[in-house]
Amino acid sequence: MKRFAGRIAHAAFVLWAVATLTFLLFRLMPGDPTLNFLSDSFSEEMRADLLESFGLDKPLPEQYLIYLGSLLQGDLGVSFLQKRPVLDILLAALPNTAALTITALVIAYAFGIIAGAFLAFARGTVTEGIAIPAALITRAAPEFWLGMLLLSWLSFAWGIFPSAGANVAGSEFTSEWARLTSADFLWHLILPALTLALYLQGLPLLLMRATMLEVLNDEFIVMARMKGLSRWAIVMRHAARNALLPVATAFALGLGSSFGGNVVIETVFSWPGLGRVLVSAVQGADYPLAQGAFIMIAAVLVLMNMVADLLYAWLDPRVSVGARR
Amino acid sequence: MPGASAMRRRPLPGFVGSGLGFLRKQPFAVAGLAIYLTFILLAIFADQIATHDPREILFRGAYRVARYLPPSATHYLGTTAGGRDVFSQLVHGTRSALQVGVTAAFFVVVIGTLLGLLSGYLGGWVDRVIMRISDIILGLPFLPFVLVISALTRPGTTTLVASVALMLWPNTARVIRSQVLSLRERGWVEAARVTGCSTPRIIFVHIAPQVAPLAALYGSIAVGWAILTEASASFLGFGDPNAISWGLMLQDAFANQALSRGVWTWFVPPGLCIVLLVLAGFLVSRGSEKLLFPKLGD
Amino acid sequence: MDALLDVRDLAVHYRTAAGPVRAVDGASFTVPAAGIVGLVGESGCGKSTLGRALMGVLPRSASIAAGQAVFEGRDLVTLSPAERRKLLWRRLAFVPQTAMNALDPVQRLAAQMQEVLVERGGLSRAAAGARAVELFAMVGLDAGRLRDWPHQFSGGMRQRASIALALALNPALLIADEPVTALDVIVQRQILDVMRDLQSRLGLAMILVTHDVAVVAYACDRVVVMYAGRVVESGPVRAVLEAPLHPYTMGLMNAFPDLERAGGELVPIEGAPPSLLNPPTGCRFAARCPFAVARCEKDPALLEQAPDHHVACWRAAEAPALRPLASEAATWSR
Ligand SMILES: Nc1ncnc2c1ncn2[C@@H]1O[C@H](COP(=O)(O)OP(=O)(O)O)[C@@H](O)[C@H]1O
Ligand code: SF4
Ligand SMILES: [Mg+2]
Repeated sequence: MKRFAGRIAHAAFVLWAVATLTFLLFRLMPGDPTLNFLSDSFSEEMRADLLESFGLDKPLPEQYLIYLGSLLQGDLGVSFLQKRPVLDILLAALPNTAALTITALVIAYAFGIIAGAFLAFARGTVTEGIAIPAALITRAAPEFWLGMLLLSWLSFAWGIFPSAGANVAGSEFTSEWARLTSADFLWHLILPALTLALYLQGLPLLLMRATMLEVLNDEFIVMARMKGLSRWAIVMRHAARNALLPVATAFALGLGSSFGGNVVIETVFSWPGLGRVLVSAVQGADYPLAQGAFIMIAAVLVLMNMVADLLYAWLDPRVSVGARR
Repeated sequence: MPGASAMRRRPLPGFVGSGLGFLRKQPFAVAGLAIYLTFILLAIFADQIATHDPREILFRGAYRVARYLPPSATHYLGTTAGGRDVFSQLVHGTRSALQVGVTAAFFVVVIGTLLGLLSGYLGGWVDRVIMRISDIILGLPFLPFVLVISALTRPGTTTLVASVALMLWPNTARVIRSQVLSLRERGWVEAARVTGCSTPRIIFVHIAPQVAPLAALYGSIAVGWAILTEASASFLGFGDPNAISWGLMLQDAFANQALSRGVWTWFVPPGLCIVLLVLAGFLVSRGSEKLLFPKLGD
Repeated sequence: MDALLDVRDLAVHYRTAAGPVRAVDGASFTVPAAGIVGLVGESGCGKSTLGRALMGVLPRSASIAAGQAVFEGRDLVTLSPAERRKLLWRRLAFVPQTAMNALDPVQRLAAQMQEVLVERGGLSRAAAGARAVELFAMVGLDAGRLRDWPHQFSGGMRQRASIALALALNPALLIADEPVTALDVIVQRQILDVMRDLQSRLGLAMILVTHDVAVVAYACDRVVVMYAGRVVESGPVRAVLEAPLHPYTMGLMNAFPDLERAGGELVPIEGAPPSLLNPPTGCRFAARCPFAVARCEKDPALLEQAPDHHVACWRAAEAPALRPLASEAATWSR
């Protein structure tokens, strides 16, 4: 319990620091971005109005307090270009990113865990000689390039999958949930999710294999053999369960970093997610939107880092249940 | 948890290695070094190897730009939508890739090792401050942060290298720190302290050489990360628009319908080069698999 | 004497890059149907390898090169894996060293008990629960601790739990590899008392592997002394420890404190057991033996020097004369 509270306090501290850093970044960078962001087409009056409405006419400390205050209320300001609340724009993009990330991670980890466990028993075989370099190659390839390859092949050359977007243009749905579960959405999801999964699977695969090899050398595995337990019981109940601890942690960490790391995949597939919002906001000098998107991506990352820690503690009784000696 | 302890169990061979034994025991590392060497030679002799000026717009006849030419004896990999020679761009791209990779890795290693040494050896508030800062950096999303920095300053190679170094040093620092913590407990460090060695001397003369192999490993991974980051940022339009880099080539190809036109000789080779160079870093560092996952930290 | 286990000329080799390591190199001894047999020798003499070979869980690099180990009339060496599995834990159980990670760290003790009782013993879950409580009581553990995780146990308690686990299916032979080595002396005594008590109540046979003669003196009925992969002396504890015939046994007795009374000068045997990669020819103890003579360049056989008392030493017959010399520290320092 104490650990839990401590970890939350730590996450809160990091979040605060990240928010502060973001604030300073967007205001103190050389070249005064506040001016850059207000485009030339604005009249003097509009500019003054805008500055005021964004609180940019006030001294920096005051701006900072206002900024923190509105962040706490979930108010991320209004987009320069879209003239809509930033939060609305982000919340509209969030489900797309979440669907892409979670689908890809689940595929990647399901495959990686099984293949990694299998490879742990294939030491010194030809399979290992092929699989390990292959896994390393997928880790070394730029995600967007993997996406480009799959696109040119499965979408452009063979015409199996759509090449862009999350839904056929102009389609209407009764609810967000109906959209996310529609066949159309899932059809669009396949290619980007596969690309991301291909990029991500190397980590759980190599990690699972490495920890599995380590665990298989542990004395309790030898004991399980001495007990005459079935191979299945030894591998699944004892080896895999212990080996899964770090993999589960990696999953949570991966969830956090993929939310923001999807930027390039979302660009390749024109996937309307958070990363795309960030990129186009930065490119379009839409500073409240860029700031908001950045903070949201960072918040998910910090949150998932925390979840990863707590998950590990929860899964591993050696951490969660203090020693009593 | 992983990294450092795994390293301690399996002492690393010196990088120079002891000749044949090294070749036989570390085939992965040898393959990695061979790839590095090939690309370094490519970069040095780029002007001789390239068949054209990579920036030159080529013409067919008097006024027709030589767009989308298929591979031929003059253009090994054809030409781009802008009428430039793909092969020559590819060869010259090696320079910027190595430049970005090596400078970023250098700063990651220097900053990470220095702060890791100080943090681990001095402990106390120095340790707390450094670790807090690294916590905060690990809370920043990597690529988005690089993009925002690029957008708010001048986009270009310097900005990219700086932000990669800024984002990656904590992983190195943490591993070095835990290594130093265990070294500190060894007898000879204590002996050096008792015999009146100054703190800087102990840190830099006695401890630093011990952690150097580990730092080098993290460096070789940082090379890969920096190259991947440069490629991603260039692809998203945040690179140096005047550079000749693999990332920009891919962006160029993507933006000019190379995919729908099926001009795979344009967009496959740059990606392959990136894969090879990043892979080389992984192979060199394969002494410990866990080092491949800097995000897992310790 | 009808032996429960009869080990004959057993040899176990590890394949290494430098060549085969002859960890066990022709060991012979017997274990009667009831009682505790101490298997003693310095670290690196092949005791653990021998124990693991009997259980059939040698690492992949190891193989049984020769010999047999007849247990309840069947040779463990030639047994098929399926047949061996039928014996494991039901007839033949194992207690590991405490310091090792021998209990699965992410499973409660109750689950680890259930596992053997239900899957290997065929008990119903309810019966297994009752049996687990009974087993814990037998080794002096509170039934409530069944719900705990291994890391919540102290070293001594973990050892008790391991013994309870090993006894779960009423085995005929229990092999305990250094069961008390990692514990402090007081706890060592407690655990040895538990083992003694259970042995006499259940009437089973135990092999107690240790490097400490004091443990043998305290807990064992018989002793087998191993040196460099071979058995050099064996017999009833009283006979062997009161009148050792082999110089190595004499040396071991000088080298360890008595478990019951502290004090007395400890005299170590200088040097270390030879590498088993290229074991020396002749008597393997010759390099460290203060009584070595020319004859010792040839291999002494393991012979029955006195009734039920075997020894492999050329000068075994002179043992009564050598013993007073061996108890002097000066004899061992060179
Ligand atoms: N996996 C292994 N590979 C090679 N040699 C081994 C291995 N395990 C043990 N040995 C060697 O076998 C010999 C006997 O070891 P061991 O059975 O552990 O002895 P003990 O239990 O008596 O200390 C030692 O010389 C040791 O170095
Ligand atoms: S045979 Fe010789 S060397 Fe070996 S123990 Fe006996 S006396 Fe010593
Ligand atoms: Mg042993």
